[in-house]
Amino acid sequence: MKALRAIIADDEPLLRAQLRAKLARLWPELSVVAEMPDGRATEELLAAHQPDLFFLDIHMPGVNGLETARTIAGRAHVVFVTAFDEYAVEAFERGAIDYVLKPFNEQRLAVTVERLKERLKEAPAGIDALVESLVGRLAPAGNGHLKWIKAAVGNNVRLIPVETIAYFQSDDKYTRVVTCEGEALIRKPIKELLEELDPERFWQVHRATIVNVDAIAGVRRGARDQGELALKDRPETLVVSRAFTHLFKQM
Amino acid sequence: MRYFAGLTPRRIAWATGIALVVAALSLLFTDNTYLDLVVSALCMAYTITLLYTVFENMHTVHVRREFLQGLAVVLGSMLGVVLIGIVKGRDLVHMFTERLSGVIFTMSIGIGFGAIVVATALLRERQARESARLHEAEAATQRLEKNVLHARLQLMQAQVEPHFLFNTLANVQHLVETDAPAASRMLESLIQYLRAAMPQMRKDSTDLGREVDMARAFLEIHAIRMGSRLDFAIDVPEPLRRRDFPPMMLISLVENAIKHGADPGCECCTINLRATEEGGRLRVAVSDTGAGIQPKSGSGVGLTNIRERLKALYGSTARLTFQENQPCGVTAAIEIDEAKESGPEPVPAGFATRSGAVGNVL
Repeated sequence: MKALRAIIADDEPLLRAQLRAKLARLWPELSVVAEMPDGRATEELLAAHQPDLFFLDIHMPGVNGLETARTIAGRAHVVFVTAFDEYAVEAFERGAIDYVLKPFNEQRLAVTVERLKERLKEAPAGIDALVESLVGRLAPAGNGHLKWIKAAVGNNVRLIPVETIAYFQSDDKYTRVVTCEGEALIRKPIKELLEELDPERFWQVHRATIVNVDAIAGVRRGARDQGELALKDRPETLVVSRAFTHLFKQM
Repeated sequence: MRYFAGLTPRRIAWATGIALVVAALSLLFTDNTYLDLVVSALCMAYTITLLYTVFENMHTVHVRREFLQGLAVVLGSMLGVVLIGIVKGRDLVHMFTERLSGVIFTMSIGIGFGAIVVATALLRERQARESARLHEAEAATQRLEKNVLHARLQLMQAQVEPHFLFNTLANVQHLVETDAPAASRMLESLIQYLRAAMPQMRKDSTDLGREVDMARAFLEIHAIRMGSRLDFAIDVPEPLRRRDFPPMMLISLVENAIKHGADPGCECCTINLRATEEGGRLRVAVSDTGAGIQPKSGSGVGLTNIRERLKALYGSTARLTFQENQPCGVTAAIEIDEAKESGPEPVPAGFATRSGAVGNVL
């Protein structure tokens, strides 16, 4: 009988060793040919060993279990390993996929081994839909907008989370980044910031000003058809130029 | 065209309505026909409304709005009289000499009613602003309370975070068979962590010493789990341990540090936990030597939670800061100043707030 080959992926070396040991006891015909701390080496290992089966920890730093499953894309069977995740378990129960809980329970593991032996007789099931739904639920998507501003303050580089920024204002060759505690200067011009900030949270209200919507306390009509913004944590007011007053028109 | 902003159909309708009423009332003490009075009233009303609108839009920083509005009423009445004369085909010169009393009378009515209407409008505007401000303040208080409650609940959940617990127990299970002394140490650390974590749930404040002990247990557990990939050092002077400190914030920062630092690409991550006090400011900093924060990666729910709780507890005298380290990694610090708490700033006068729309009433 052809030897069955498996690869174990988990960022914790102790847990990899433990699964290896338990599998050796429960499934002697299975040969664990490699281990990986994350999914980065998946392609290499697929090429080098042609494994039949992967045991994937879902929460690994770098490339996690779900992304690894995507990479494998049906070239091998996949078993997810999870410490606790009610969503994952529920999805697994419904889907045609096996999972193993940490800490490893020998009896449960034995049942999974039996099931896997049967499954391995066929080609790997298509689990793309399941993986996608899990990816959606387990990994909060970063949507590509700026979340941090790096600004030099003295000798240090401060990291400012964008939600704490009240507004940006261009000042000659620099841009002022103003928070409730103070301000910092960055080189990035208003134009570039507009492209990178979340447009739902940050509005341009003037050629030289971008304001954080959440920082606005109130608005009133200013002189000459412009507007004036009052801010929640800052004493100064911002001018809304005529081109942007439409943002504040009442319905 | 911007001078005519605010000249809405609504405002014109109001002016028309008032004019008709005034005309009707005037029937009581003049002999003119209703139609005649209506024509006069409408001319007066429209002129005043027009001037009021234009003047309102001309207000600048130096000239008060109320002054301009008053001026509009007076001038509007005067021009209104002239318009009446034109419309009725009267001889203007004759009007202003022979029939001056009639002219003054009409003008006075115009000014009188105009003033009443404008004053009423201003009063209603002010009341609406006040009530909007009140609502905003109430809403702000409610939001803050809700935030604190939400944070408390999240804390309670985070205390015995399932992932952490089960992963740790899985490790212990393995160690029990292969390295009993290590298993024993890990269990000790876990027990200490849980002991430190549990009572925290109900308190608003605990002391720094307790938080540091919890962080130490947490770091010890991870150090065993990650092997040589994690190293840590804690530097908190004894007197600072007794300081008041909000619960479950330090552990959040340590958790983030491990996450950022534990990128497999990095050979070894060192985490430093230091507490200092300078000039009345208590500063507790967690540094890592990891990959750092990417500008587009999320700041995480934990950090927003910490910021909001700090604001709720200390106002502007406490803050959460982040700095890049050289050569790599991030330092996250919680700073608490000695000064008194300050509450949220009230909205300055004259502003419409987002919770209530305050338009012009006319």
